Amino acid sequence: MPYLEEALVAIVLVAIALIALVVLRPGLTATRGGKVLTFLALAVLPGLATAMGLSAHMERSKTTEFCLSCHIMEPYGKSLRVDDASALPAAHFQNRRIDTEHACFTCHTNYTMFGDVKAKMTGLKHVYINYLGEKPKKIELYEPYNNRECLHCHAGARSFEESDLHKEMRADLASNTTSCLECHDVVHQVGEKEEQP
Amino acid sequence: MTENPPAPRLLKRLRLSGTLVGLGLAVEAVTILWSHPTAFLAFLFVGAALVGAGVLVYLWSLASASSS
Repeated sequence: MPYLEEALVAIVLVAIALIALVVLRPGLTATRGGKVLTFLALAVLPGLATAMGLSAHMERSKTTEFCLSCHIMEPYGKSLRVDDASALPAAHFQNRRIDTEHACFTCHTNYTMFGDVKAKMTGLKHVYINYLGEKPKKIELYEPYNNRECLHCHAGARSFEESDLHKEMRADLASNTTSCLECHDVVHQVGEKEEQP
Repeated sequence: MTENPPAPRLLKRLRLSGTLVGLGLAVEAVTILWSHPTAFLAFLFVGAALVGAGVLVYLWSLASASSS
């Protein structure tokens, strides 16, 4: 939502001003108007600000900028810009087949707070490892990549459906018996490709 | 129309509530301006937690005032 962050900051400033008024002039709370003011300052506005802030953070955490804000993810960001038409992330990103503002989230939809409870706990573990643990040299998925993330866009697409090989494997692809990445295997080969100038 | 001034204990709790909520809102405002996973965690586990605690203290002050 546009201006959500500005609106949140405005609400926070108003709430803090009202809280200061209530704390510095507690006599106000003896009147009916003062009670309403106190309720606004200490319950309604903070609740509204927190709900809006949570929504803003959730939306922001889907952005490419957010994912790549951790140092460890930088090479994966670079893999979006490698000069190789066969590299899946680069081909999708550079040809605008995905929303470039949400490039990571488009293909990794089951991650961190947008997945199940297990995925959320994993997200917290990532933050712990990032600050206090030993970072792995190579980041790998916890489980095989789900074809659902590919078929979510490609299923029904003419170029996909008219391919004889895809027709043969359709059921296996849908059931994840065969991974899309078995053939389309140039993905995030971090450090092996040159970035596009 | 004038009403009785609030009891000192109620005032103390309102001040505590105001301080907690104010601090929590300040943390929320700062973290909303920063795009990083740490900002999200700080928002949730510091900002929202302080605001939640402050609101609870406020509600507790209301409940204890009405019961006394």
